[in-house]
Amino acid sequence: MIDRSTASADQSAIVRGLVSKVRVPLGSEIYNRILETLYDEAAALDERRFDDWVAMLAEDLVYTAPIRLTRNGVNKDRDVMRTMMHFDDTYESLLLRTGRLTKSAWAEDPPSRTRRFVTNVRVGELDAPEEYEVISYLYVERSRLSVPENEQTSGERRDVWRNVGGVYKLARREIILDQSTLSMANLAIFL
Amino acid sequence: MLHKPGFVLSDGTTLDDLIDRDMNEVSMRVMDDAELYHHEMERIFAKTWLLLGHDSEIPKSGDYVVRDMGEDNVIVARARDGQINVSLNVCPHRGMKVCTAEAGNAPIHRCIYHGWAFRPDGSFIGAPIEKEQMHGSKRTKDELGLKKARVHIYGGLIFATWNIEGPSFDEFLGDAKYYLDQLFCRTDSGLELLGPPQRFVLPCNWKIPSEQSASDGFHTLTLHRSLMEGGVMGGTAESIYDNAPGMYGVDVGFEQGHSLRCLEAAQTFKMFSDMSFEGKTLDERLEMLPPPGITKELIPQLHKNLSPAQVEQLATIPPQVGGMFPNVLVAFIFAPRTDGGSSGALALHAYVPRGPHQVEFVNFIFAEKDCPEQMKRDMLQNSIQQTGTSGLIEQDDADTWPQIQRAARGVMSKTQTLKYQAIHGHEKPEGWQGGGYCYPGFTKDDTQWNWWLAYHRLMSADA
Repeated sequence: MIDRSTASADQSAIVRGLVSKVRVPLGSEIYNRILETLYDEAAALDERRFDDWVAMLAEDLVYTAPIRLTRNGVNKDRDVMRTMMHFDDTYESLLLRTGRLTKSAWAEDPPSRTRRFVTNVRVGELDAPEEYEVISYLYVERSRLSVPENEQTSGERRDVWRNVGGVYKLARREIILDQSTLSMANLAIFL
Repeated sequence: MLHKPGFVLSDGTTLDDLIDRDMNEVSMRVMDDAELYHHEMERIFAKTWLLLGHDSEIPKSGDYVVRDMGEDNVIVARARDGQINVSLNVCPHRGMKVCTAEAGNAPIHRCIYHGWAFRPDGSFIGAPIEKEQMHGSKRTKDELGLKKARVHIYGGLIFATWNIEGPSFDEFLGDAKYYLDQLFCRTDSGLELLGPPQRFVLPCNWKIPSEQSASDGFHTLTLHRSLMEGGVMGGTAESIYDNAPGMYGVDVGFEQGHSLRCLEAAQTFKMFSDMSFEGKTLDERLEMLPPPGITKELIPQLHKNLSPAQVEQLATIPPQVGGMFPNVLVAFIFAPRTDGGSSGALALHAYVPRGPHQVEFVNFIFAEKDCPEQMKRDMLQNSIQQTGTSGLIEQDDADTWPQIQRAARGVMSKTQTLKYQAIHGHEKPEGWQGGGYCYPGFTKDDTQWNWWLAYHRLMSADA
């Protein structure tokens, strides 16, 4: 029985840094290839090349963004609440989302102009062969219509990337945004 | 509370200038007027019942969540006696927020500024250094508790108001109760909130989403065109305006400003379009297509908790979307799954004012407490994919509302009016058992106009 109560701390384990004990060092061949992949992914999304983005996704992808909650005392670090999410998607549901963007999706038609900044990339080896734990920071600037003020968001992404015949595919992504109340009017963009 | 008679804005504008009850028009100025907003906070948000959460969020003694009643931050806490209390989150000593977290469990709330301490029921325990009597002697401890709101729990939903002597919760619901019971009071264990609400802010006045929640069915055809293109709702992309899926049903409105759209599943959704209830008994129909969120196993409980007429309605033309005045959207909808099947999405939104130009969208997602874990999981995923922050349906609303707000700033634009002139007039369909004003047929502006009349009534009452 899952305790879903908002007041409860049970569902919010503290996760910090890499889970993997085997670090893939900065500057190594694998690290460089993964970093390149993250840059390519950001460019595909910023340039709205959604077919290119979907091609980077594994078909068993789980794509989530848990909510944050401001807590204090003994629970002050248990602030990622996985009982509720902003995104709760699979490969199939992401295809629905990208498919919608080619039709009457007024939330992105006219489209936002976005710039994704990916930094602080840390990589570790996972037990499964050819799978890597990849943690990155994400900062997004989003310009909407003729509004002179951009919308922003920032957070950490906890990914699993899988090397499939020399190409890295996204197999798991958890987006941990920093705000408990989001300042972005919608998440019609991918993070 | 101060007694204030009906108001006139500082430039001489009256409420009747803003809301033209002969023409069914509302001046766009209402969306961009700081002075009017101030009156709304006093006359609506400090006066009527407001949705704050659900009792499943705070099951244990000492559990609390922090929420907002208009711009007043409150602590919603379960006391040792099991009762839920709503107290202003402002220290009576020097005005600091007493509770700085958004949720947790605390037998005592101690202000971090000077240490004044309060119980979950808001009562004052004392200030540090008891022997020095740091709360003075002019006021007794009984007078120094947190300001308490009046609380009512309905189907597990936590409502509160500052209007201690005002209308009862049942008077506030009125005839809407008959329909809302079908959503909130239909099973033995009731609903469960599946996690803390999603929250995000939009740069628009609270009334822009709220008047839409008063059963604006018509916007679905155009703003949510992608639902038809994606094959979720009946019809094809080319014939959206010809067959107008989901526009026909019975809209029901109430004097209090609440409303619901009662819709036959087969008429709205493509996935049910071949389903025929012809010659089927009530229970056979319920088994074929349980109402959103209900399993076959829960059907006997519907009979136990609802009247035969209410069950009959749930089985044929259930209330699916609507609103509760002033700022709640109700969405208890059939929802398609990516695998071609269907489940339900049960969500409530509170549109909490954050100044004249900003609103906080609070999205509560539910399931029946006694439905299987896998169904809760499916419903959570479905609700997140359709509603709220990333919801495929509501992303379009969230992008539209701020554009109305920006328009309302213009000197010329704010003299323009919002029009509610597609009026059907109420008529009760044959055999209809529920109360309220019924508007059968194509969805029109009646329920939204009722919303503005309810707004007018509260705004012109003495504050």
